[in-house]
Amino acid sequence: MSNQIAILLAVLLFPGGVFALAFGLAMKGVDRRVAARLQSRVGPPLLQPFFDIIKLGFKRTMVPAAANETVFLYTPLVGVVSMLLAAALVPITSVYAPDAAIGNLLVLLYLLMIPGIVLMIAGSASGSPYGAIGFSREMALMIAYEGPLVLIAAAVAIRTGMGMGGWATFSLNDIIAYQQTHGSFLFDPVMWPAVAAFCFFYPANLGIVPFDIPEAETEVLEGPLLEYSGPVLALFKIMSALKKVVVLSLGIALFFPAAPAGIVGGFLVWLVKMAVLMLVGITAVRLSMGRMRIDQAFVFFLKWPLLLAVASLAVVVVV
Amino acid sequence: MGLIPDFKKIATRSPWIYRINAGSCNGCDVEMATTALIPRYDIERLGCQYCGSPKHADIVLISGPLTVRVKDAVLRMYEEIPDPKVTVAVGVCPISGGIFRESYAVLAPIDQYIPIDVNVPGCPPRPQAIIAGVAKAIAIWRERL
Amino acid sequence: MNFLTIFARNLKQGPQTEAFPLGPAFTPERLRGRIEFKAESCEGCRICERVCPANAIRFAKTPDGMTFDCWHNTCVFCGNCEFYCPTDAIHQTNDWDLSHVNADKFDMVEHGLIPNQKCVECGATALNTAPMVKNAKPPLSTEEYTELRARCPKCRAKYLKNRKVPA
Repeated sequence: MSNQIAILLAVLLFPGGVFALAFGLAMKGVDRRVAARLQSRVGPPLLQPFFDIIKLGFKRTMVPAAANETVFLYTPLVGVVSMLLAAALVPITSVYAPDAAIGNLLVLLYLLMIPGIVLMIAGSASGSPYGAIGFSREMALMIAYEGPLVLIAAAVAIRTGMGMGGWATFSLNDIIAYQQTHGSFLFDPVMWPAVAAFCFFYPANLGIVPFDIPEAETEVLEGPLLEYSGPVLALFKIMSALKKVVVLSLGIALFFPAAPAGIVGGFLVWLVKMAVLMLVGITAVRLSMGRMRIDQAFVFFLKWPLLLAVASLAVVVVV
Repeated sequence: MGLIPDFKKIATRSPWIYRINAGSCNGCDVEMATTALIPRYDIERLGCQYCGSPKHADIVLISGPLTVRVKDAVLRMYEEIPDPKVTVAVGVCPISGGIFRESYAVLAPIDQYIPIDVNVPGCPPRPQAIIAGVAKAIAIWRERL
Repeated sequence: MNFLTIFARNLKQGPQTEAFPLGPAFTPERLRGRIEFKAESCEGCRICERVCPANAIRFAKTPDGMTFDCWHNTCVFCGNCEFYCPTDAIHQTNDWDLSHVNADKFDMVEHGLIPNQKCVECGATALNTAPMVKNAKPPLSTEEYTELRARCPKCRAKYLKNRKVPA
């Protein structure tokens, strides 16, 4: 019973729920402000994403006549819930270890697929042609980047499993424990192809230029999000903020979880790593590149990231 | 509840802007683009951002005299924008027809079809003038929220 | 890697954003802004009304004189009126802050009046316009100018014809 209460608290308070939402929106605010300074502008206040979400709560939600109302209104809720659950699964070294029964990399992979599917279904349920275009683009992009993701996860699992004398282990706690004793995978030459493939994967997953093709772009008038307004749109923004926290935290857990023992030290190190990863990986990348076309992005993913991920799997199995 | 007015005050710090080109010559549209994109006139300081969909908008910037050809499309798009919204007429064309006032294809002034709240005259108005007009519109939006 | 140098330069220089609306804005001196009309310098030639491309300037004869109205909500701020005015009675200031609520739409007018006067010679009612004496050789002295101004157009022509030119 206390186990389930602990899981519930993890989903709702820390590290999921309130904490992940606040941290994700704060990260987005810092990202916008730093991006503006890098472009020699002043930029919005740091709490601007919070203001945006609150303002969206006051607008009215309009459902288009051609839309399927139930699907239209309830799909974003599914996305937010899946990201809340995913946030409770990602371990933070020395601070939070998920319950062994649920802290599984495979479960996390399934949960990470849900926001993409939610975006697709929302786009097609809105009944507008721009939504349909967003739906097809998101589908193409998901096919492109899910392949490398699965192979990267397999490579990490096999490396950890073989290192611990077995075959493969998908338990996130084990992955972190192995890296605490044997050195992080970031510094392991065998895992470098996997690290490189992950660096290509996460901009596509998080919707960052150059891969933010399906949603929120001025080409298709914001694609699947076109017909959304009011609190339902706020749910999409919340889902995207939570996904940022989950994916970046997953990157840290898979490749560089080294942290001192003790809650305060571990949490501070995690904060620093998230900040650096966000500034270098999201802001700098977003500002220095233009958006790719969907066919360019699809072909690109089938070339280098897939090649790197297959290479990493092969290397891990052989060595 | 005493909490709602505080939330309303917070909500007014994030007005989202949508532009409608009602047959404009694009002079005012260029100026409107520069207020958002050029570092010198950054409008993101006030919390504004240009959104891609009319359904996300709070403040509507209309430029151009309402030409006969585009009138239905503009009226339909105007209805897509959810209330509460504030409409700003940018340039002299929507206010009175500007230099095209006596043309057969122009249905200005636009406030016979769409309720306008703030006017920003100029041909085209300076980016600073547009920002001043948007600041007035934000003040009006604060009352309406 | 050009973008890294650009990032470093932007961070070092700081934001280039103008302070407006949280501070004063930079306004160039020759910015073409709001129209200003000086009735004392107006000749009454109405060239500005003819060259205005938007028909924003209207003169009207009233019992008090001739009124001048320029509606800024249809003026395109082109500068034609200032260019063609022979006496610099109409000129553009650099005031660009003209935004207003829609209820004040018809208040954005620059209004002026050239008053009527009685001619000191013949007693007819005429407009108190500035005389058209740019090409007079030699130029008029101040007393001659005041005398000329107080007359109606017919008497002005007579005065100029009778003006003896010292050799």
